[in-house]
Amino acid sequence: MSAGWLGRRLFLTLAMAWIVATIVFLALHMVPGDPAELLLSTSGAMPDPATVQELREKLGLDQPLMVQYGRFLAGLARGDLGTSLVDDYPVIQEIALRLPRTLELILAGTLIALVVGVPAGVYAAVHRGGAFDRVASWITALLLAVPVFVVGTLLVLLFAQTLRLMPAGGFTPFAQDPGQHLKLLALPAIAIAKGLAAVLFRMTRAATLDALAHDYVRTARAKGLSPRRTLVVHVLRNALNPVVTVLGLQMGTLLGGTVLVEYVFNWPGLSTPLLRAVEGRDYPMVVGIILTISVLFLLINLLVELLHAAIDPRVQHG
Amino acid sequence: MTISRRSVLGAGLAGPLLASPFLTRPASAQRAAGIIRYGLSAFPPNLQPWVSTGASAGTVKMLINRSLVSYDGKGELRGELAESWSRDAEGAWVFKLRKGCVFHNGEPVTADDVKWSIEQIAGEKSTAYMRTQFQLIERVEIPDPQTVRLITKEPLVTLPSWFANYNTFIIWRKSTPNEPIGAGPFRLVGQERGTSLELAAFDKFYKPGIPKAKGIKFVVYADENLRNAALISGDVDMIEYVPWQSMATVQADPRLKLDTQEGPFMDVLFNGTKPPFNDPRVRRAVAHAVKRDDIVKVAFFGRGKPLEGLPIVEGTPWYDKDLAHGWNYDPARAKALLTEAGFANGFQTTILATAQFGMHKDTAEIVQQYLAAIGIQAELQLPDWSTRVSRGTRGQYDMAIHGVSSDNNDPDGLTVVLDTSLSPTHGRSFKVDAPRTIAALARGRAEFDQAKRIEIYKEMQRAALEEVPLVGLAWREQGYGMDKGVMGFVNQPGALSTSSGNMLEETYFG
Repeated sequence: MSAGWLGRRLFLTLAMAWIVATIVFLALHMVPGDPAELLLSTSGAMPDPATVQELREKLGLDQPLMVQYGRFLAGLARGDLGTSLVDDYPVIQEIALRLPRTLELILAGTLIALVVGVPAGVYAAVHRGGAFDRVASWITALLLAVPVFVVGTLLVLLFAQTLRLMPAGGFTPFAQDPGQHLKLLALPAIAIAKGLAAVLFRMTRAATLDALAHDYVRTARAKGLSPRRTLVVHVLRNALNPVVTVLGLQMGTLLGGTVLVEYVFNWPGLSTPLLRAVEGRDYPMVVGIILTISVLFLLINLLVELLHAAIDPRVQHG
Repeated sequence: MTISRRSVLGAGLAGPLLASPFLTRPASAQRAAGIIRYGLSAFPPNLQPWVSTGASAGTVKMLINRSLVSYDGKGELRGELAESWSRDAEGAWVFKLRKGCVFHNGEPVTADDVKWSIEQIAGEKSTAYMRTQFQLIERVEIPDPQTVRLITKEPLVTLPSWFANYNTFIIWRKSTPNEPIGAGPFRLVGQERGTSLELAAFDKFYKPGIPKAKGIKFVVYADENLRNAALISGDVDMIEYVPWQSMATVQADPRLKLDTQEGPFMDVLFNGTKPPFNDPRVRRAVAHAVKRDDIVKVAFFGRGKPLEGLPIVEGTPWYDKDLAHGWNYDPARAKALLTEAGFANGFQTTILATAQFGMHKDTAEIVQQYLAAIGIQAELQLPDWSTRVSRGTRGQYDMAIHGVSSDNNDPDGLTVVLDTSLSPTHGRSFKVDAPRTIAALARGRAEFDQAKRIEIYKEMQRAALEEVPLVGLAWREQGYGMDKGVMGFVNQPGALSTSSGNMLEETYFG
């Protein structure tokens, strides 16, 4: 892996981040909606235009767009994403507070998906055509077809409203009450895991079936290895490679997929302030959050490329 | 690691087993401690005492701050930091302050604090909600430390009610802008940003035995269905804004109760700067064209009431049965009015609403259908709320659907929706000519004789029925859902429903 190649990739990642930031900044300012007026109009209030103008001046929204853009870029260069137009709270602090919660949700969902999807996929492949295989394939089709907000709402209806076993939604910091924290994490994590579990099940099943058909498996069996050892040492080791690749790609997608789950379960991750900020035209907050998500996405891509390059040196020259 | 049927099943069982210690619902420790858990519909954008940031923020603000007066459970003004108020011989409003009131830092509430707070609200650089009204106060005098005298630029009969608004609190005059110190029955003791706020009873509050609860934990549930689920599952003791479709479920639940009021209303606004809606006959045609029952049934699941006149609450002295139905459903009359205005074959136009709120969109669709029946072909425009607000304020529409509540139950509270001579906003018709309505509102504001006020406001209603600065469509119910063990809370009547958070100081577990 040459330093030049790595440098080019890093430069491209930074350039992409700048392009994203600029597009979001300009697009937001072009759509109708005045943050000052919206804030003062909450709950149907009708503010006096002079009051709105006063707030616009306080927030610096009366400045020409290019001046605002220049100020934004200068802040960005210093690592400062500005402050919320609603309550003057630093955007970077809001992200620092909420991003870990979103990542925790994604991680918990991924763990559940792994624990359920991979063993089930292997079992279905080993017992191909059996009752479990047929039922599990049918269930995964259902899980992939039903939207996440429907699953989420059904989970709330069943576990919170009907059985009253789990809270309907919300958040308690881990440090404050670990038990309650995990309870509140469970349902959204299951909701977010359902699609990924289905994908992992199918990938694992297909890859295991593929591996099972190889000659080296027949050889392993022929030389007298136990079925369990054949499966673990020869089949799984080869079958899980494509599964890991898919998992990496899907985790990036989950970052965007949390929006609905966080909303349905009132999980205060990054999506809630993003939604509220778009509705309220809180420019710095929207740009800051989208930029963060984009950079994460870009970094994941960069990481995948680096991994590919490490595994297969031809990638660097491709 | 080995994979077997047993290990696969084991993995499947591991999750529930790991989670099992958490699956039992512990008895609510908070309830036992006298802490009310309240499902709030939005996290307060901020808690600035004078800036309007919504009703949910208002609920919290009312509990940590206090003003000169407030509304009681019947919607009547009652003394708070002021124990009495009256007009003196020169026509000034005089407020006598209650003794023994202290701010949360222990400092006494003085007339200087009242004067300072009023001056902040009315200030040139102020962004306070009541700034325009407070600028009608010419000066504030302090005859003695317990008395405040307000000299106004014009006679203002409703001035005391300004101080019951949840954006006009009295703040300690030496507070810093970021840490306003109020004198409410609760103190803000903690908050999880975007998620919850915790209030604790203020032990030096001036009303004996108030607040009745030891504390309130506000938990934010932005999604109305989840908020309702949280109430049903017992995660919270009470919620605001029970969704209309869930009101029957809450009522049917033996553990819960529902308290509703018809406060806010839906209406049609017009752009009066161009044909055809610059003609009052066309606006009246719209008023007679729409069958309101359908809006109540479809948009509000039957949880409301048709509004065929101005939004004057039934049972108040200002209500008149005939005038309240002045815009009854009468398509023949609507067609005749259109013909008279020169639109016998109807016309094409647009309706601006928003897809962001179901009630706005549903109402707009029904209005569209009924207008089509009299020959008005209206195209629906349903942008997001931000765009709707922006276009409304700039007059970029023909007709618009809106949902709003007046400031209070006095007809003067309707000024904000009826006085089209005020600066344009998204919730008022754009430059519609309604001189007689506006003149009557001004007369009512300056009249102190109740009998004369009643007559003036009936005259105002008659004028508005002809000038049509807006078309009333439907009252909608505003509901609080709560556990039957929650006592002392009252949903305040009419337009004051959103101010009911004030009643949480008297709420307790029975």
